[in-house]
This record gives sequence, structure tokens and C-alpha cells, in this order.
Amino acid sequence: MNIRSWPWAVLTPAVAFVLVGLFAPLLMTQDPAAQDYGAILQGPSATHFLGTDYLGRDIFSRIIGGARTSLTAMTVVLAAALAIGVVIGSFAGYVGGRTELVLISLIDIALALPSLIIALALIGVFSGEAWTWLSDFWKMVIALTLAWWANYARMSRAVVVAELQQPYIEAARVMGASHLWIFVRHILPHVLGLVVVYASADAGALVLAIATLSFLGLGVAPPTPEWGQILVDGMSYIEEYPSLVIIPGVALTAVVVSFNLLGEAFALQKVPRAVRGGLLRRKRAARAAEEAARGAAEAAEVRA
Amino acid sequence: MSDSTLSPAEARPVYAVESLVIDLYTPTLSVRAVDGASFHVAPGETLAVVGESGSGKTVMTLGPLGLLPEGVAVDLRGAARADGRDLLTMSAKDLSALRGGYFGVIFQDPISALNPMLKIGPQLARQAELYQGLSPEAARKEAVSLLARSGIPDPEDRFNRYPHELSGGMLQRAMIALALAARPRVLIADEPTTALDATVQAQILSLIRQIQKEDGIAVILITHDIGAVSVLADRVMVLYAGQVAEEGVAVDVLTDPIHPYTRGLLASVPDFRSETAVGTREIPGLPPNQASLEAGCRFVDRCERARPGCRTRRPELTAVRRGVAARRVACPVVLEEEGIAHG
Amino acid sequence: MQRMFLRRTGLALLLMIAASALTFVLITAAPGNVAALIAERSVGAGADGAMIRRIEEELGLNDPLPVRYLRWLGDAATGDFGVSLRSGKPMAEEFATRIPVTAMLLAGGGVLALVLSLAFGIAGAVSNGGVLDRLLHGLALLGASTPNFFVAALLVIAFSVGLGWLPSFGVSGISSWLMPWMTIALFPGSVLARVVRVNLQEAMSRPFATTGFAKGLTRRAVLVREALPNILIPFMTTFGAQFTLMMIGAIVVERVFGLNGIGAFFIEAIRFRDFIGMQAVLLLFVVFFVTVNLIVDIAAMLADPRLRRPKRA
Repeated sequence: MNIRSWPWAVLTPAVAFVLVGLFAPLLMTQDPAAQDYGAILQGPSATHFLGTDYLGRDIFSRIIGGARTSLTAMTVVLAAALAIGVVIGSFAGYVGGRTELVLISLIDIALALPSLIIALALIGVFSGEAWTWLSDFWKMVIALTLAWWANYARMSRAVVVAELQQPYIEAARVMGASHLWIFVRHILPHVLGLVVVYASADAGALVLAIATLSFLGLGVAPPTPEWGQILVDGMSYIEEYPSLVIIPGVALTAVVVSFNLLGEAFALQKVPRAVRGGLLRRKRAARAAEEAARGAAEAAEVRA
Repeated sequence: MSDSTLSPAEARPVYAVESLVIDLYTPTLSVRAVDGASFHVAPGETLAVVGESGSGKTVMTLGPLGLLPEGVAVDLRGAARADGRDLLTMSAKDLSALRGGYFGVIFQDPISALNPMLKIGPQLARQAELYQGLSPEAARKEAVSLLARSGIPDPEDRFNRYPHELSGGMLQRAMIALALAARPRVLIADEPTTALDATVQAQILSLIRQIQKEDGIAVILITHDIGAVSVLADRVMVLYAGQVAEEGVAVDVLTDPIHPYTRGLLASVPDFRSETAVGTREIPGLPPNQASLEAGCRFVDRCERARPGCRTRRPELTAVRRGVAARRVACPVVLEEEGIAHG
Repeated sequence: MQRMFLRRTGLALLLMIAASALTFVLITAAPGNVAALIAERSVGAGADGAMIRRIEEELGLNDPLPVRYLRWLGDAATGDFGVSLRSGKPMAEEFATRIPVTAMLLAGGGVLALVLSLAFGIAGAVSNGGVLDRLLHGLALLGASTPNFFVAALLVIAFSVGLGWLPSFGVSGISSWLMPWMTIALFPGSVLARVVRVNLQEAMSRPFATTGFAKGLTRRAVLVREALPNILIPFMTTFGAQFTLMMIGAIVVERVFGLNGIGAFFIEAIRFRDFIGMQAVLLLFVVFFVTVNLIVDIAAMLADPRLRRPKRA
């Protein structure tokens, strides 16, 4: 399969998710939180395109509002985790020595547990009295961010270590360039190149994590619409009204499939020509990172 | 064969290919890797197939056996016969059996050609069991003796070794033992010494020669090493860009090359024919991109003897009366200009 | 080799200690958490500052953090994980009844994922670009993208609501395990099937595969006898990673199907601010994840002859 034959149509759900999330206020026909006890568990109609739930809330509007909730949370978490990861990882790789060892240990500890378990534990921490000033939404966002940064940090560090071994860095140093200049001008582009591609592939996993937390009742709090929460609300009525579960489930799955396909496309370099130039650089960075990791492992073996 | 000068051995070839055309297709390009080549090899005979990398030597020899890398679509035309059967029309299963029992193949780089996760000895024993019909115990003994015969010291110990535990030279010996384990009629050695140290190369070549003398099997040696050709080959076939340029008895071709490409190839070998005193010369230019070929001679762009007609007229392989035995050359220009008797 | 084992084991122990210390600090660092909760649970909303301070004194909550951590770790080592604030039962008791449930869930799901991924991965490689290969690729992608709670819901709709074959809640014989197993096996099974397929393809393009053909093997035989052993190591490491990730599936599945396992308890503990329970479960998780990774690491080393029997220098 090459770029031209790649089924671009499969990206429709991801694109729709972003657009719907962005323009949700314009698209919602009703207030997604408004309850109407006169219209409980109704089928699709002209006023309720997808029917209503057990509180008479409009499912169509809730799905759209849910997209906005997910998109907001996902964007914030990705951006924050990426920023933290790049800063910590780059710093570790650039500074080296004892600081690097400490930071690597921290990264390794963070990676020893699955991200979602860490997020759950942090949500548990935030359930304490000291954290009541935080809304559930932000507790979830912060917990996910703190659970998600380590991967980016590890990657960033590997890229930095690899790039530092390039002769042109030495040349720049001899020419009197400052550390900050060398880092921002020469190294950071490589780091970002790799990490941003990884993040775009990671979006699906994050949408899934957000929905899972809400499904478990530990994510977004009830009045705010969220897909995992819409689905868990529907579970009680699954026998009579399976559509209450199927509608949010299908929406969620379609978006995740779409993002995962995008990730697979990046992995296989099936990307539009417009971004291919940038991607070649990223590919090189990825290879360099891989080699750096291998080199480090070998060095560790030798030392041991 | 109409040629009256053919040696008796050629009358009963064990592997013969006639007017073979092989097109290779990958998603991005298609290549005519072999263009109307014919060859044959008889028991006890060694045929050397010589040419630069990419000239189609391997594809021509191994292609009819279905031994081409995965991911490449192959279109084979012409005829290929072995064991009295047509290779190109037989079922995949029959062809597999023929590959295992009738042919033995030695590959270029034994380190990557031997499975790192499998012990060496059991693979040999399995071949002996399947294709020689031996009992498991007898097959094991046969495997050990094959290893010993291939010049591997302490074969009992090596039987249970993994490839990474042997040196490159030892691995190539093991590869030879594996190729021989089914008692094949044809041994194909695809650049068997290229990946080895110079000192080991000679040992491997003499091992192949010794095995052939003892077993009387047919050997096809694919190589670009003229030294190896002079050591082993009875006959030589020079391939250029998928076409046969020259073919004949090794002594003739090596001492008195006719085709301009063969001459260039031999002149580029240091100290091979010191009596000619031309010194080492490179053939200028690069082999043609086989994806974009025209009708005429494929060597035309690099040929010192090229004439305008060469570009459009395809050179036919013509029998030449010169040297000790039958020879065929695909260059009408040289034949004409030098007045070489042919036809 | 032996030194490598020891080194890996030592690192794993260090990792366990560091990770458990970090979770301990995070969860207990929030001031007044535990004592206030205990007071609240025992006398209701009327708990006053004096009572909280007395509880803190009794539990030694005013000692320095390292002391508290070591005491907690020492207690845990002797099987005392504290008393759950949620259920009022000792955590050791909760573990004794709940670990078997989760273990059963993970074991069944793991076996299912293992078998299905190998079968589908090999089937895809045999089909090699055919209809079956593309179908399996599509299914693997879908399986790796569908949220496991939605999978569970769809299974309930199909097998409980629709066909009425399987119970949708609780434990009653082997049939009640089928849907939970299928649910948690789908994601790792899909990922692993792709790993098998992709690595088999890579192995088939290596020179030793051509040697396999030259030995007279059919394509299927080359796949199974030559390529399959070569994907063992990536398969094992991915399986290890996916097996630990299955704990997330277990948490979801235990809630959906009403199984009283560790995962369901963990969520309850979080919702009811049972810090002692959370602490104990997280320690259990850390031990589980690090141990699984260690076992996989060592198994992968043993499976690779190049590591198992390094060339003598």
C-alpha cells in the first residue's frame, strides 16, 4: 500500500471529532444537561434526533457535548504531557551525570505501572480533602498528564543523547554557541519531530483513557457530558434500550480506530507529501534514538 | 542441440534452462532480470555463472526453483527442466520436494542464511531422514559424518551448536553439509566465498571441488570472482544485464575472451592474465538500469567497440569455432571485425 | 548469564521499593487524610480535632515519613496491609478472597489472547496479503481500538440479552467467565496478532527463510519451522507488556460483570477515599507488574540461544 492508495476516508471520524468538538455549542440542539421528566427514554424524533436518556436528556446534544469534553481533555493532556516530557527528557539527556540518572530512575518508575493505573492512583490522591478546590475535570486532566509524560521524556532523552554525539554539535560548541542556542537550534527540532508524531498516534489511546475513567465514575463528573459516562448511564437500560450503549460506544470506537489508523500510517510512513519532508527528518531522529538506546544498553552491559 | 562439438556430458544435463525470461515486479518498479538465457549442467560438471552484481546470475539460477525473495512478484517464461520434469509448470508442493532433494544450495553469507534459533545438526539430520529415507538414528550419524566430511572438527560437538557459536568459515562448511544432506544431484553455490576471509575462501573452494569429484554431482557456481572460476569451473557463462554475453569452456573463455564485456571483466581482475600485460582496468560506466531497457545490445553504452547498429540490433548468441570446444558469443561486431569463424 | 539474572532481579527489587515508596508518599502526604476519615467513619460528621489527633497518635501518623514507610513496608512483608476503611475488614482478608478472582480473570484472558493471537497472526501470514490476511488486519485494528467496556456491553447485548446464553452478572460456573475473558483478551490479542503477523513477515524476508525454502520446505512449513522460532522473543516481550495492561481490562470487566476482584475493590477504594485500601492494592500492583516484567525478561533471555549460550571468547 502506498500513499496514494491509503484510505484517507478512514480519517473522517477523527476529523469529525475535532470539528464537532470545536463547534459543539453551535451544533447542540438542546442543553445537554437539561433534564426533562416528561420525555424519558424516548426514541429518535424531530426534537431529539437520537432520543433521550433516563433523565430525559437529549442524547444527540450529549454526544456532541461529550466530543467537546474529550477533545478539550485530550488536547490539554497531550500538550502538557508533551511539554513536561520534552523538558525533563531533554534536560536529563543534555545535562547527563547524576541528574540524568535520577531523572531516568523517575521515568523508569513512572513506566513500571500502566499509565491508566497511575492515573487512577492519582485520582485517588486527589480525592483527599486537600484537593477539593479542584474540579473533577481538572483532577482527571492532571492525573492523566502526570501518568502520560514519562514516555515522551524517555523518547526525548534518547533523541538528545543521539544528537549530542553528532559532529556538528561539537562544531557548534567550538564556534562558541551557548548551550541554550545549541539545544533550541539544533536538538529541539529533532526531539519535537519524533515526539509530535508519537503524540498524534497516542491521541487514540488518550481518548480511550478519558472515556474509561468516566466509565469507572472517576473522570468527568455527571452534569458534564462525556462518552464513557453516557455509556455507563446506558448500561442500566441495556436490555430494553441497547441504543443508549451502542451510540456512544460506536462514536468512541470510530474515533479511536481513526486515530490509531493515523498512528499506523505514521509508523509506516504513509503520509501526505506535504509533511513528508518533515517526516524524513523524524525518521532519522527515530533511528538515531533507537541507536542511542542500543548504545546505552551496550555501555551498561560493559560496565556491569 | 545441433552443435556437434558438445561434450558428451552436455548430452544428459541434470538441470537445463531454455530461453528463460524472468520479469520481477515490486510495487514501484518492474525489471526484466533475465532476458532469454539458456544454460545446462551435467553430472560431474561445474558451470560458473559470472557477472557483476545485479546481472541476474542468482535470479536466473535460483528463480526457476522458486527461490526468490518474498515480496517480489515473479513472471517466469521459457523452459526449465530438472529430473526429467518441467519446473515452471509443476505444483508448488512438487517443486518444494525437488528443491529439498534434488538441489542443494549454498548461500553467500552463512551467518544470515542459517537460522539463528535452530541448532545445526538436527537440520542436517532432518534432510537426511526425509530425502535419503534414513531412520532417525542413521540420519543423525549421517549428519555427523557430513559435518566431518565438510571439514568441521569435532562434529559430534558441533551437531548441537547454534550458528552463533561457530566462525564464519565453519558456518559455510556447515551450510555446505546442509546442502549435501539430501544427497542432491545439483549443487548451486551462490557466491559461496564472498562473505568470508581470504584465507578461508580457498579452503571452501577446494572443499566444493573435492565434494564434486567424490560425488560426481553437477555444480553451478555463481560468482564474480574470476579466481574462483579458474579453480573450479569446467564451463563459464558470462551474464550481462540479464543476457548471456559469452559462454564456453572455462580455459577458452578465460584465456581468450571474445565478447568485449568478457574482455573488460577479465582485464579488471588484477594479475589474472599477466601475460596480456594490459594491467588492471575498470570497465567504464555503470550497468544499465534494467528497468528501462531498449531493443539493442545492453552493453552498448560501456563498450569500446560499439557501433551505431548496436543500439538497435539485438546481438544473437552465435556459435564460434575457436578454442578447444564449443563456444558461443553474443557480439556480431567483434566476430566480424576480427574475422572469427562462426555460424 | 547468571550475573545478568542477578542484576535484573536486583533492579526489579529496587524498582519495587522505589515505586512503592513513591505511591506511599503521594497517598499519605495529603495531610490529615487517614485520621480524619477514620474519625468520620467511627463517629460520623461530629469528629473533632482532638479525636483526629488521638487517632493520628495511635497510628503513628505523626512520625517522620521514612519511618512510616518502613513500618508500613515491614507490616506488609508480614502480611499486615492494614484495615480497609471501606469494608472495615483487614486488607489481607480482602486479598485472600479477591486475588483468586482477578487471577482467574487474568489467567483465562491471557491464555485466550495467547492462543488467538498466534492462530490469527500465523493465519494472516499464511494468507499473505489474501482476503483472510486483510480481514484479520482489519479485525485486529478494530479489536485494539474498541474500549473494553463497550466490548463487554456488546457481548452482554448479544449473549445475555439477545441469545440468553450467558449470565451478565456475578460468578456461577465457567459460563460466567466466558464474556469477561473475551472482553479482556480482545485488546492484547489484537495487538499481539499484529506483532506475530508483522514479525513473521519480517522473518520471511530474511536470508534464512530462503534457506528454509532451499531445504525443501513449503511456505507454510518455512513460516512455522523457520520464521516462528525467530519471532519468539518479540512475542514474549510484547505479551508481558500486554499481560500487565490486562489489569486495566480486569478493573473494567470486574465492574461491568460484578466480579469481586482486586480491580473492583481498587475503584471502590478510590471512590470512598479508602487510602489504606488504595495503598495496599497499589503495592500489590507494583509487585505484580515488576514481577511479570522480570519473568518476561528472564524468559526472553532463556529463549534466545545467543544470550543463553553466548559464544565463548
